[in-house]
Amino acid sequence: MWSYTLRRVLATLPTMLAVISVCYFLLHATPGGPFDSERQVSAAVLANLQAKYHLDQPLWQQYLLYLQSLLHGDLGASFRYADWSVNDLVANALPVSAAIGGGSLILSLIIGVGLGIVAALRQNSVADHLVMLIGNVGSAVPSFVIGPLLIIVFAIVLKWLPAGGWHDFELRFMVLPMVLLTFINVSVIGRVMRGSLIEVMHSNFIRTARAKGLPTRVVVLRHALKPALLPVVSLIGPLAISSITSALVTETVFSLPGLGKLIVNGAGNRDYTLVLGLVVLVAVLTVTLNLLVDLAYAWLDPKIRY
Amino acid sequence: MNPMLKITAAAIALSLTLIASHAAIIPPGVQLHPTQTFIRSNGSEPESMDPAVAETVPANQIMRDLFEGLTATDTSGKTVPGVAESWKQTNATTWVFKLRQNAKFSNGDPVTAEDFVYGIRRFVDPKTASPYATTFGVFLLNGLEVAQGKKPSSELGVKALDKFTLEIKTQDPVAFMPELVANTQLGPVHKATVEKWGKDWVKPGNMVGNGAFVLKDWQVNNRIVVEKNPHYWDAAHVTLTRVTYLPIEDQSADVKLWESGETDYVYQLPPGVFDKYKAQYPKELRNQAIIGLRYYDYQTQDPAFKDVRVRKALSMVIDREILSKRVTADGQAAAYSLIVPGVVGADPTPYEWATWPMDKRVAEAKKLLEQAGVKPGTKYTFSYNTSEYHKKMAIFVASEWKTKLGIIMETESMEFKVLAKKRHDGSFQIARNGWLADYNDATTFLALVRCDSDQNTNHHCNREAEAIIQKGTQSTDAAKRKALLTQASKMIMDDYPMIPLLQYSLPRLIKPYVGGYSELNPQDHYRSKDFYIIKH
Repeated sequence: MWSYTLRRVLATLPTMLAVISVCYFLLHATPGGPFDSERQVSAAVLANLQAKYHLDQPLWQQYLLYLQSLLHGDLGASFRYADWSVNDLVANALPVSAAIGGGSLILSLIIGVGLGIVAALRQNSVADHLVMLIGNVGSAVPSFVIGPLLIIVFAIVLKWLPAGGWHDFELRFMVLPMVLLTFINVSVIGRVMRGSLIEVMHSNFIRTARAKGLPTRVVVLRHALKPALLPVVSLIGPLAISSITSALVTETVFSLPGLGKLIVNGAGNRDYTLVLGLVVLVAVLTVTLNLLVDLAYAWLDPKIRY
Repeated sequence: MNPMLKITAAAIALSLTLIASHAAIIPPGVQLHPTQTFIRSNGSEPESMDPAVAETVPANQIMRDLFEGLTATDTSGKTVPGVAESWKQTNATTWVFKLRQNAKFSNGDPVTAEDFVYGIRRFVDPKTASPYATTFGVFLLNGLEVAQGKKPSSELGVKALDKFTLEIKTQDPVAFMPELVANTQLGPVHKATVEKWGKDWVKPGNMVGNGAFVLKDWQVNNRIVVEKNPHYWDAAHVTLTRVTYLPIEDQSADVKLWESGETDYVYQLPPGVFDKYKAQYPKELRNQAIIGLRYYDYQTQDPAFKDVRVRKALSMVIDREILSKRVTADGQAAAYSLIVPGVVGADPTPYEWATWPMDKRVAEAKKLLEQAGVKPGTKYTFSYNTSEYHKKMAIFVASEWKTKLGIIMETESMEFKVLAKKRHDGSFQIARNGWLADYNDATTFLALVRCDSDQNTNHHCNREAEAIIQKGTQSTDAAKRKALLTQASKMIMDDYPMIPLLQYSLPRLIKPYVGGYSELNPQDHYRSKDFYIIKH
C-alpha cells in the first residue's frame, strides 16, 4: 500500500504542473486585466502598476517566475487585496471553510448514512418517504432559497441565531451555514446510501447470510454496510471539495470570509495570483482526497488490492 | 499663463480663516446612548488600507476615519478645516495652508508640513503605483511628469515653508483646491512607520494615522474595526468609541443583517425594493442622492453613430421618468444632462425636449431618423456587464426604441472586466457606463467627454468646446469659470456623445438611533467623526 501511495503522489506532479500551466495561460488570455476598471487608468499609471506586479515582462518569463516562487511555497501578492499575500489570504480563509465545510460533511455523513439505512430497510414506510422528501427538496430547491429562509426564520423572526458573519469560530455563527450545507449534502448522501443498501440487500451473499439464520442487525452491520458504503465513499471526494472550496452561495448568504468568496472575487477581478493560488489548493485537495478515497476502497472492498 | 490674469488672481485671492467647530453636531435635547459603538456595512472589502493606493468607495470610506487631509468634508458635504486651520490662494497657481499645531498622529507625534510633503510625493511616485496618481496628481506642478517617472518626486509642487506651513503649487489654476485636498490620498503619511514596516505598515498594530480613529482589527472579507484615537486633535468632539465595518457584498444579506439587528447601517438597498421598504421603514429609509451619473455611451466612431441626428433621436425617446419610477424604482432621479444637480463649477444643462410631451419627442425623433436615412428595423448592439439591474434597464430601453421608433437593440451581456476593456478599446456600439465624481467639480464629469481624456469612451471630440473648457479652467474668476464650463458642457451634450439616464443615489436603511447622517452629502463622504448613537 505504501508503494502504491508513493507512486500515486509522484504521478500527481505532472498533473499539477499541467493544471497550473493551463490555468495560468487561460487566465492571462481572458479579456480584461486586473487594472481595467470603471475609471480607465492613465497610460502612466498602467505602466507603474504593471511594473509593480511584473506584468511588463514577457508572459513566459512571468510564468517561470511564478513557478519558481511556487516551488518556494510563495503564492505571490494579490492584486485585488493589495495589502495581502495570497498565502495570507488562503491561510485566513481556509480554516473558516474547513470548519464549515468539513464540519457539515462529517455531520451529513452521519445523518445521511443513518437516514439512508433506515429508508432502505423500511422501504415505502413513512421514514423512507421522509428521507426521499429531504433528498428531493435538497436537490430541487437551490441553496440561495433555503439559506435566506433559514435566516428569516431563525435570525429575523425568532432571533435565536445571527443572520450571518463570523466571530472566531463562535458556534452560534456556524450553526445556520452548517445546517444549510448539511441539508444539501444529506440529501445527496441519503439518497445514494438508500439506493446502494437496497441493492446490496438483494445480493446473493446477503441471502446466504440470512439463510444461515443471522439476525438482520448483524446482516446489515457486518455484511451489507461495508459494500453499500462504496458509492458514498466515492461521493466524499467531490462533496468535500465543493463544501470546502466552493461553498460560494453559503458564504454569500451568511457573509462568511471563506475560500469561495476569494475564488469569485479573484476571478472577477482578474487577480491572477489569487486564482492560481486557489487552483493549486483545490488541486492538492482533490488529489489527496481521491487518494484517501481509493485507499478506503481497499478497506471496504476485499476484492480491491493495491 | 497670462500675466494680467496672475495679477487679478492675486488680487482676488481668497483668504480664509475658518474657526468653525465641525465635530459631531448633537442637537440640543438629544441624549446619547451609554455605549457609542456603530456597526455598518461598507459594501465591499477595501482593496488597500494605504491612503496612497486606496481607490474604491469602501476603501476611501475607511481612509476618512483613519487619516485626515488638509481639509475634510463635514456631514452636510461642506469642506471644513482638517489638519489645516486656514488657507489662502496667494496667486493663481499657489496655495498656502497653515497647519494646526496640535494635530498629532496616533502615536502622539506631531503632524507637520513635512509629513504632507512625504505623503503627497509618495502618492504620485511611480513606485507606489497609485491608481489615482494622475487623477489628482495632474493638478500639482510637475505631477504628470513625476507620475510618468520623467521627473523626480522632489520636483513635485509641494513644499514645507516651515514646520506648520505647506505650499502647494499647481500646473493650472485649481479653483477647487480646498475640496481636492480633503482626499486622504493627498494627506500626511508617517514616514518612520512606512520605513519600519514596509508594505505591512497598514496592518493593525503597525499603522500610524492621523484620523479620528485608529485601526484595531482587520480580517479580510470579515470585518474592520476602528477605535477612537485619543491623540486626534479634535478627540473631545468625537462621540463614537468604536466603528465596525463589514464588507457585505450581497445586498440582500446586508438587509437581513440589519433587520436581525446585527448592523445599524445598510450600505445600499438591492434594486426593486425601494417602495416596499419605504412603506415598511419610513423613518429608517434614507436616500442620499450623490453626484454620479448612469449613462449609455455611443461609440461615435462607429459608422452607425457618426450622425448626430441618430444619437439625438435615440436619446430623446427614452422616458427617464418611467425608468426611474417604475423600472429601477430605487429612488434615483432622471438625468438629462452631463452635469447632475449638486455638482460645483457648472450648472446642469438639461435638454430642451426633456419638458416636451412624449408624443412630440417621438415625432421629432422619427423625423430626425428619417433625415438621417435610418429605417425602422435597423439593429444596434448594446453591451453591458451581467447584472440584473443593468439587464432591467437595457430591456426597458430596448422596448422604448422598438415600440416608439421600430429600432432593434440587440443586447450582449458580459463580465465586467470584459466590458471595461471593450469600452476602452472602443469595440462596441452602445455600452452601459457610470461615473461617480472623484471630487466635487464639473471637470470630473467633463473628463467623460473631453478630447484626449482617458475617461472618454465615446471617442467624441468637440475642439471648440475643448478650447472653452481650457479657458474656463485657466480662469480664477469663479463665476466666469462656471459660465464657461456650463457653456462647454452644453455644447458637447448637444453633440449627443452619450445618453444620460439616471443620477445615482444611495438608498439605505439606517437605524433611527444613528445621529449625524444628513442626506446632504453629495459624494457620500461621511466621516464616523460626525456620527453619534442616540439613547435607545
